[in-house]
Amino acid sequence: MDDGESAIPTYEGDLHVVAAAHHIVKALGATKNLSHDLRKILVDLDAHLSRITLNIDSKRGRGLFDVEDRLKQAERKIVSWESDPMMIWDSGPGEASEYLEAVDEIQTVIDGLRGLSVNGNRKQKELLHAESVLQMAMSRLEEELVHILIQHRQQFEPKYMSSRSVRRDVVYDESFVSIEDESPETSRRNCNSDESGECIVDLVHAHVIPHIKSIAKVMFTSGYGQEFCEAFIGVRKEALEQYFAILEMGKLSIEDVLNMEWASMSSEMHKWTWSMKIIFRVYLASEKRLCDQVLGDFGSVNPFCFLEISKSTILCLLNFGEAITMGPHQPEKVLRLLDMYETLADLLLSIDTLFSEEASSFVRIDFHELLDRLGGSAIAAFKAFCLAVSSNKSALPFPGGSVHPLNKYVMNFMRLFPEYCSTLNLLLKDQNADANPVPEPEYGQNISPSTSCPMACHLRSITSALESNLHKKSKLYKEEALQHVFLMNNIHYIVQKVKGSELRLFFGDEWIRKHNAKFQQHATNYERATWSSILSLLKDDNPGSSSMSKSTFRERCKGFSVAFEEGHQDHCAVHGNGKELRS
Amino acid sequence: MPATEYQGSFLGRISIRRNQVIAMDGNHEQELEDLEHFQKHVSDRFSELLSPPPEDVHADALLSISWLRKLLDVFLCCDAEFKAILLMGRDPSQISKPPLDRLIPELLERAVKALDLCNAVTNGVESIRHCQRLAEIVVSALENKPIGDGQAKRAKKALTSLLSAMNLDDKEGTNTKTAERSWSFGRRGASKERAPVRSLSYQVAKNWSAAKQIQAMANNLVAPRGNEASGLASPVYIMSAVLVFVMWALVAAIPCQERNGLATHFPVPKQLSWAHSMIGLQDKIGDEWKKKEKKGMAGLLEEMQKLEKLGQSLIEFTDSYQYPGETEKVEEAAAQVAELAETCRRMEEGLVPLQMQIREVFHRIVRSRAEFLDVLDQESSATEGVVKQTKAFLM
Repeated sequence: MDDGESAIPTYEGDLHVVAAAHHIVKALGATKNLSHDLRKILVDLDAHLSRITLNIDSKRGRGLFDVEDRLKQAERKIVSWESDPMMIWDSGPGEASEYLEAVDEIQTVIDGLRGLSVNGNRKQKELLHAESVLQMAMSRLEEELVHILIQHRQQFEPKYMSSRSVRRDVVYDESFVSIEDESPETSRRNCNSDESGECIVDLVHAHVIPHIKSIAKVMFTSGYGQEFCEAFIGVRKEALEQYFAILEMGKLSIEDVLNMEWASMSSEMHKWTWSMKIIFRVYLASEKRLCDQVLGDFGSVNPFCFLEISKSTILCLLNFGEAITMGPHQPEKVLRLLDMYETLADLLLSIDTLFSEEASSFVRIDFHELLDRLGGSAIAAFKAFCLAVSSNKSALPFPGGSVHPLNKYVMNFMRLFPEYCSTLNLLLKDQNADANPVPEPEYGQNISPSTSCPMACHLRSITSALESNLHKKSKLYKEEALQHVFLMNNIHYIVQKVKGSELRLFFGDEWIRKHNAKFQQHATNYERATWSSILSLLKDDNPGSSSMSKSTFRERCKGFSVAFEEGHQDHCAVHGNGKELRS
Repeated sequence: MPATEYQGSFLGRISIRRNQVIAMDGNHEQELEDLEHFQKHVSDRFSELLSPPPEDVHADALLSISWLRKLLDVFLCCDAEFKAILLMGRDPSQISKPPLDRLIPELLERAVKALDLCNAVTNGVESIRHCQRLAEIVVSALENKPIGDGQAKRAKKALTSLLSAMNLDDKEGTNTKTAERSWSFGRRGASKERAPVRSLSYQVAKNWSAAKQIQAMANNLVAPRGNEASGLASPVYIMSAVLVFVMWALVAAIPCQERNGLATHFPVPKQLSWAHSMIGLQDKIGDEWKKKEKKGMAGLLEEMQKLEKLGQSLIEFTDSYQYPGETEKVEEAAAQVAELAETCRRMEEGLVPLQMQIREVFHRIVRSRAEFLDVLDQESSATEGVVKQTKAFLM
């Protein structure tokens, strides 16, 4: 009683302040177009101010007794839960809101006590008592928060995105020779029509979001926001890391990646493209929404928590990408590198949006740089491919004179390039500033955009290099006939591959015509080479003389039929594909 | 002048050789000068790190955040100078001649290990930032006077998390939840949903060990002797030693996976004049490491050491505290809280820039490695004439 009565003038002052604030709040509340959140804030503020008024009023009347009484009641509530093994939020909505009300009450008491301009032992004691109860409540709320977040976690199946990717694995087999007869359809990628948008899922069950928000509000208001953040970040970060582990991207060091053999590396690169899409488009987009929902009212705390949650996973993905761009850029990597490039290029907008703050600028910068490096690596591998085609050497002639494995490998590989047309053209154009100029289109007439684009020019130069190489290989045959058969078969194969795939759009009709002609030329040469020696046996040495001796004639006929047999056998042995060749 | 013209004349032959020798010497002199400069610069930079000039009032304590940042700067400078000596305006064929044909690839292998170490250290800085935030909670709780029982409990909870976070950081794997986690004070017994222990080992493979990587990097680090010492082998050795030292210091300072058995010294010959300061630093840091290793600790980073010391003292204080508490103890605690606040402030200012710098070092190492590989590749394709890539193309 002693403290209260002597402070009456202060109560008047306090009341005036509160009344003024109340007036402003009511005026603002009358505004027509308020957002839902803003209106809610005003409602809360209104209630709070009312409580303070009541508080002051009652204090004026009865001083600290009332305060102590209210504190005791709230404390009872909070202490009663301390010994309860149940979780509050599992025990029904009523319990939770009662608990929060009790916490609110304590906070109000603390505010009120702090507002008392009088100091004294009793006020001090009450204040510290209240803070003690508050701490108990905060500690409990932290546990409840963790419990809710873990209990109501939602798993979403990463598999729903995987079905489209499985098919592509078939194509990236090293043994291109074995799938040469596959129709182009199976090797075509899925249209990425549904990849443009993000897909947001509930990472935590939607119905508990309001609970989490109410805990957040109470904890932040009471000055325990740091604890809230640490708990929230801890649980969410672990959830992301567990999810990432499901995606089975191995925990690889850079050293591991650089020492990997191609089959594993190819698989990891594939997993990376898939993981990137899922993590950025689905998981992180959803996590961002969760953070916005829970922490949207608390300013920069929101992006801070989001960054902390996602950092280690992002760095893992970034690290793998960087390790890949460090490695030697062997030709067989080109398609996977193009995949990685395209995936990241598609995701940059999402990345920029998710990490738009200053503090997370390093994420945007690093991924943009990675994109550049991936582009450089892809082109380096592409150029290595071109180079490897011309420098492949053989020591011995290929037995049988049929299609050379190099030919099969190169053409089956090349069939897949048209899918990456726009990316390759973009990257090759950028490279144009470099030393190596784009080879000029050979065929002046009938230039269409597709046959004159940088990729088309490069592809034609690859086939040129292939042809030159095959010519060299043909010289290894001693017999001229075999040389021609070899070239016949191989050029035929090249032309068939071009005609039978999207390559025809980039090579153009002109090219196909010319190469058909080459093939015909070799066919003719082969005939001439094979049969001329046989025919020459029938030629008369003395065209003028009327007769040949019988024995000479019989000899010649025998020689002819033997040679014919042999020639025929050889011809059958050296078989080519397709009916055209046999005709 | 073709040698044939002078074939008959003995004197003529001698004069040819002398011309050749003089020509070589000209280059050689320049080279020796460059090497000397490099050695001197390295020596100076490390000497500053070991004992900063007396007029520097705010000298950085050994292995503090700002000291580490200076160390990384030193590394970047050395790397730049090293590349200038070895690559700029030099005939690439010199890089692929013995002994460099063995030494450069070894250096590049060390570079790759260094990259993985940079990543591990970056991860470690993350966990340090977590510790910083816990310490900030302690400061919030204890900085207002008088300290109530509630605030003391709050501080104690945060301190418990802090100390267990520091002790856990070195352990491998995410399954060591041995320390008492303060998510729940065990009220619900074996509660299934304990909030996760913040582990660092997520990013790295299970059996990856920072200590082993450092060991591997130092294994074939042998100072060039005799003739080799006056050639390019010398700067390569210097750069290698600098690289190993910098990585080692980072690993000693910042908690990252598996530092048990971290070597405490490297065999850098004491007679190398440029290495004196570096060896001095090695000794100092190595001694500290040996002292703390037995107790198990969260890295030698000066700020973390402070956090640990203050944390342990304050947790005792909060344990036995009851309002209003003994005046002496309260005053002592207040001073410690102030120191803690100051340490947190330094961490707040310095940790993110430190991470950015480690990133820069990372990128620089990647770039330098690529430059050397380019040069080596050019050389090999010039001499061998066949690109290695063709192996993939059957036959």
